[in-house]
Amino acid sequence: MNLKMHSVHWRFLGSICALFALAVVVLGAEWISPARAQAQAAASAKQPAKTSAKSAPKAAQAEQVGPPNKGVGSPSAPITMEVFSDYQCPMCGQLFQQTLRPMINDYVASGKVYLIHRDFPLPIADHRFNWDAARWGTAAARIGKFEEVDTTLYDNVRAWGADGNIQKFVAGALNPADFKRVQKLVAGCLAQTPQEFRPPVQAGQGCSLDAYINQDIALGKQVPVQATPTYVITKRGQRMPPGSGFVSWPLMKQFLDSLLTP
Amino acid sequence: MSKDAPTSLGRMLLLVGRVALAAVFLVAAYAKLKPQGAMTWSPASVKTSLAMFAMQVDSYQMLSVNAANFVAHALPPFELFLGLWLLSGIALRFSSLISTLLLGGFFTVMVRTYALGLEVSCGCFGPGEQLGTKTLLRDGALLALSVAVCIGAFLIRRKPS
Repeated sequence: MNLKMHSVHWRFLGSICALFALAVVVLGAEWISPARAQAQAAASAKQPAKTSAKSAPKAAQAEQVGPPNKGVGSPSAPITMEVFSDYQCPMCGQLFQQTLRPMINDYVASGKVYLIHRDFPLPIADHRFNWDAARWGTAAARIGKFEEVDTTLYDNVRAWGADGNIQKFVAGALNPADFKRVQKLVAGCLAQTPQEFRPPVQAGQGCSLDAYINQDIALGKQVPVQATPTYVITKRGQRMPPGSGFVSWPLMKQFLDSLLTP
Repeated sequence: MSKDAPTSLGRMLLLVGRVALAAVFLVAAYAKLKPQGAMTWSPASVKTSLAMFAMQVDSYQMLSVNAANFVAHALPPFELFLGLWLLSGIALRFSSLISTLLLGGFFTVMVRTYALGLEVSCGCFGPGEQLGTKTLLRDGALLALSVAVCIGAFLIRRKPS
């Protein structure tokens, strides 16, 4: 009886060990795949500017505005931080308000960090206007007014997220001349916004903005972005592993300080 | 078949399980402490790695900033210690019990975070790994292994060969 009991115990232990072996296989597979993806992303992320220039739509060039500049701060800063974000993702808003805003005021303003926004609108039914918000942001980025529009989009996401009236807040963030330029760029693009909140579209006007947003999404897939917000920090060409979710400013600051310490 | 055969098989399995568990903790500690990017091993690189791990702990949104920072700086050295303790086999009942409690804690936190729909980096074996069903299955299996080693360690103690 005792011997039998012992056998049962050891069989139990044996099956647990087999289960563990299975876990090791899963673990190995998980380790290998992100490492490969990161290596590919590192190789391809070296030339985002080239890709932008190549695939910039011809219509955009005719409008006499540059490609979108969604960077905030000095590009020569020692640290670059790319944030893949969806304007209607609550955690992206939380990250912007509680972490990125103090970072912009401090580390970006003092030239320590160059912050780049990357659009990564998620295919989620609740995020009804996320693509159109990204289009307004991209249009503003093309005339050099990204920071103002980016801030207003995050600040008022509850309001425009309810009715889709994004242009009301963009108009409030820009001077009338700049707003008209942005409105003209975004006019043919707004597929999610209710008709009454869309700017008038001129005959034959296409949409040149989605190509830029798709470029951001493609960059995100190379990271790979699996959730928003995802941030990628690079220090003088040394790319750190991506992080995702909300991070408090004191801990982000601690990390940036550790990178800035020679 | 001798009466001792199951016991010796059990001892063998216990040894394998104990070494595997030790390896898991040692690898986890190494992954959290190793230099990130193209950095080389140095006190500064360890500081950066721990600062990055602190951000991952914080993203679970369970602890205050100070508590998350403390856990992030204390956990990797503790995992290193526990891995070496398990490997040594000294007082295995206690080391396996602590490992079970620790893995049980991790698993509970992960299940809670997953259930809340928070999309965060797991941080289990270093940065860059998203919390998901795979990580839950893996950590569940590790918890089961630890429970098995713990039970085995207590059984061996009760029935010395």
